[in-house]
Amino acid sequence: MTQRIQIEAVFIIIHLSFGYVVYPNLIYMLTKTAHWEVIICQALLQLMLIWVYIKGLHYFPTHNVIDIYLKMGRWAAIVFLTPFVINLIALASLNIRIHTEVIISIFLPRTPYWAILMLLFFISIYTALKGLGTILRSAIFIFLFVIPLVVLNIFSSVINFNIHNVTPGLNLPPKFLVDIKFFYLLGFSSFLFLGFMTSKTKLIFRQLFGAWVIVTLLFLSVVYIPLFIFGQDTVVTLKNPFLEAMDSIDISWFSFNRQAIFFGVLLVGLVILTNSVLFWMIGTIMQKIFKWHSSYWIIACAFIAFIFALVVPNKYLLEKYFLWSSGAQAFFMIIIPITIFIYGSWSNRGVRGHEEK
Amino acid sequence: MRNKIVKEIEATFSNQGDFFIEEELVDQTKIFLIGFKTLVDLTKSKLYVQQMADSNTSVKALFINLNDRVNVDAKQLIKGILEGNLVIVSEDGKQNAIVNPIVQSLRSSVSEPKNESPIQSSTDAFGDDINTNVGMIRKRLTTASLCHCSYEVGDLEKRKLSMLYIKGRTPNALIDKVDQQLKGIKSDIDTIDDLNLQFGKRRLSPVSHLFATELPISAIHSLKENKIVLFLDNCPFALVFPNLLWDMLVSINDRNFPSILSFMLRFFRVIGLVATLILPALYVALVSVNPEVFKLDLALFVAKSREGIPLTAFLETIAMVVLVDLILEAIVRLPKSVGPAITMVGGIILGQAMVEAKLVSNLLVIVITAVVIASSSVIGMQNSLYIRLLKYPILILASLFGILGVCTGFIFTIIYLASLTSVDIPYMTFRIKKEGATK
Repeated sequence: MTQRIQIEAVFIIIHLSFGYVVYPNLIYMLTKTAHWEVIICQALLQLMLIWVYIKGLHYFPTHNVIDIYLKMGRWAAIVFLTPFVINLIALASLNIRIHTEVIISIFLPRTPYWAILMLLFFISIYTALKGLGTILRSAIFIFLFVIPLVVLNIFSSVINFNIHNVTPGLNLPPKFLVDIKFFYLLGFSSFLFLGFMTSKTKLIFRQLFGAWVIVTLLFLSVVYIPLFIFGQDTVVTLKNPFLEAMDSIDISWFSFNRQAIFFGVLLVGLVILTNSVLFWMIGTIMQKIFKWHSSYWIIACAFIAFIFALVVPNKYLLEKYFLWSSGAQAFFMIIIPITIFIYGSWSNRGVRGHEEK
Repeated sequence: MRNKIVKEIEATFSNQGDFFIEEELVDQTKIFLIGFKTLVDLTKSKLYVQQMADSNTSVKALFINLNDRVNVDAKQLIKGILEGNLVIVSEDGKQNAIVNPIVQSLRSSVSEPKNESPIQSSTDAFGDDINTNVGMIRKRLTTASLCHCSYEVGDLEKRKLSMLYIKGRTPNALIDKVDQQLKGIKSDIDTIDDLNLQFGKRRLSPVSHLFATELPISAIHSLKENKIVLFLDNCPFALVFPNLLWDMLVSINDRNFPSILSFMLRFFRVIGLVATLILPALYVALVSVNPEVFKLDLALFVAKSREGIPLTAFLETIAMVVLVDLILEAIVRLPKSVGPAITMVGGIILGQAMVEAKLVSNLLVIVITAVVIASSSVIGMQNSLYIRLLKYPILILASLFGILGVCTGFIFTIIYLASLTSVDIPYMTFRIKKEGATK
């Protein structure tokens, strides 16, 4: 029971950490009006994939994704999961780099970015090395520490709202569905980690649904707060619309000058946890496929990720690469649940067929 | 003429000043009373043996009636003497007995707790004697499911160790593992930390596997919460295994108040814990690295309070923090008559003179005072010490990365504490379930 709550906390944390930087920009590019349609469509698609994923996993009660692929055959595991690991490395490295840029731009303008990268990488690797139990337990505490303050921030932004900025509220027909950027958008809903944590706990769709609702609400707020404050025309010109929306808030009784600092600091916790989950996934996949101790893999892959994060020259390329990697993530998000579902129902039918004979 | 056994015992203890061999006549037969004067009350024991002899017809019957451990070999007799018993050997050496003597009273009686101060609660505290301690638990917890296992551990000396648990509540896997670990002890157990090291690798960790408490009521509460309680001979503490984060914030004595008050107490302890960890770091971060976080008037106020101070914020803070930790340590070590003097001098010098001499800012003095008070709000002396230690890494990170350092340091502390486990039970578990499944 408690394990499930922990997994839900990780679910929310990962989404928020991926979501708030690039996600709003993508939405503003996709549509000029009725942004909620895009978010809801994306969320429903995600929910459908989660359902397929969980259904597929339920065919193998004591297995996680890697075990299932290994059951299909070692080569199937290598073909499907090695590219996924490469994608995870890219995702981890770009995620940390993007956040480092944000941190530097908000409150540490004089610090070199390799120092911040090293700090974040060190803590993520440490957490990943300590294993899943540590990640899940610390997730609960980080969740309790960060999320209430984030929600407070979101609510405090209401004072700057102008409701006329987001009218009209309806846009039909939904053209964005055929846009390639919508596919990229899907990459931000990272639920694939669920399949790697399930060998001991059975996931229940109903409970994840609650987490999904919270995530969707958070995504709506991430997109709509800048919209309410600046309006669509201004928002497309901003680099980090959500942070700048936070920056614009001025509460007289609050003793801190800029809410964005407050917010940026809190999100560091989310980034660290997200990256440790990614590194942990890399470690478990590589250990099961290539039989080398997972901590060596984690350290090696994290080193590659660190080098990669260090050499990306500028913010423009960074965001481009990040989009690519989240596009690749979207690809895996469709491929992995569906293959597992198909293999599960196929092998299950086979078992049943044997029993009937 | 002394027989073989007596000679052997005499040879073993030949260089012990307090060793005695007394000859006594019982029913025309000579017997030897052997033991340590420091452990056995000789005059009273002699009287006891005489009275027993008067009521028994033969020497053989006397030996049987004195104790059931009769006619054992020399090795066991020596062990009996070392344990503080009286050994009686007949003249021909064919008969002997280990007698529970009238002992020299070396123990103080049940007294009040020294390290904890319970409010609205029983004020009995554990003492040095292991049997008294177990007895105190038994007297308060009258149930047949309370189990008691005894061990004798150590290399040079055999030290008594008791393990208590409630059968049917404490998970069997936990009991088995602790049992194995206690049986596997090879070295001497002199301190709580020696015992602590037996439960796994935590040599460099400030967090102990064991939570020491002086109060029977809190030991009983731990038993009821499916934990194991260990007693070490000559150690006036119940050692609760495993030690959980929750123990630092919640005490059973809180529940003597209405629940809203106990919630308030616990909430303040959480604040105290967080404040101890991050307040000094936050001061350094906000003053030296990220002053722009504050609103203008507040930033000006902070800058004004630091006007003319030659030290950097980090040096100033670390100096004050170390000084305060030194004072706290000194007050603990000093005799009670000198302690108040140190407190007064420390208070005046740190509070007044350092500010007037412009060595540290007013604001820092307030911060440090808050930290010292906050660090003492958690339960257990060792917990207070370890959170005082954990604030240093965060302080150093804050001086490097400012407010980001405070946040990452705090999160790193959370992750570190979450990674600790004792025998597969995480330190950050809220409770231990009956069947052994843990969060």
